[in-house]
Amino acid sequence: MKWMATCRETSELASRAMDERLPFADRLAMRMHLAICKNCARFNQQLQDMRRLFRTETTADDDTAGLTPEARQRIETEMQKKLDA
Amino acid sequence: MTPLDAHTWLADHGDYLFRVARRQLHSDELAEDAVQETLLAALSAQVRYAGDANPRTWLTGILKHKIVDLIRRKLREVEIPRDADGEEAVDSLFKQDGHWAEPLRPWGNPQAEAELGQLRHMLDECADRLKPVMAQVFSLREVAGMETEEICKELNITPTNCWVLLHRARLFMRQCLELNGFAKAGAA
Repeated sequence: MKWMATCRETSELASRAMDERLPFADRLAMRMHLAICKNCARFNQQLQDMRRLFRTETTADDDTAGLTPEARQRIETEMQKKLDA
Repeated sequence: MTPLDAHTWLADHGDYLFRVARRQLHSDELAEDAVQETLLAALSAQVRYAGDANPRTWLTGILKHKIVDLIRRKLREVEIPRDADGEEAVDSLFKQDGHWAEPLRPWGNPQAEAELGQLRHMLDECADRLKPVMAQVFSLREVAGMETEEICKELNITPTNCWVLLHRARLFMRQCLELNGFAKAGAA
């Protein structure tokens, strides 16, 4: 990679850094770019925000949703079959 | 443990397990399957259940595995069309010289529970709009937390291909979130 990555390249590196440890040269190119580019620094931050949000349990998730009576009955039946077997 | 306990699992935790599953699988039908498979597996495994763990925690642990199984199975059914990788759409996000086509707006830092719930809803909506294969890779990685290596193996794609799909999925997700008002109001 050349001495300075473009925004597009940096977005690729930042994404990959979410999944594995980057080789040294890539890490350096990314860091240098992030240090001077507001947009890419934001992108990098937002990748982490997204992950955090996705992995946060919230009680505000549709609390009223539940199994339908039909599904409940079906599962009950399957469990009973298994217990009887 | 008696069979009676098993019946209370469904009554006490069925709806909870269903909600957890639905959030990751984006389908009522698959979520019902996940709950059923979880409870049946729990029945087989109940001798191993020490009884001191919270049953909900124990069942949720089993559910997480079942969800990954179901996502995998769903993946095998997905055909990957030639234009499914969204390359052109990514091109439109950047200028020719590699700069962002549009400046990125900053996001707020939501703390309130209600706000978080709303955001989660928006995240799920945006994830639903990704191309199928991208949505699967993204949700295996970000929601289920699988390692990319495992995902590549499941999908039978190269690591490079996997990174490309994840990169594009992430670009589209953040764009979708921004377009839906995720960005801090009034911020430049």
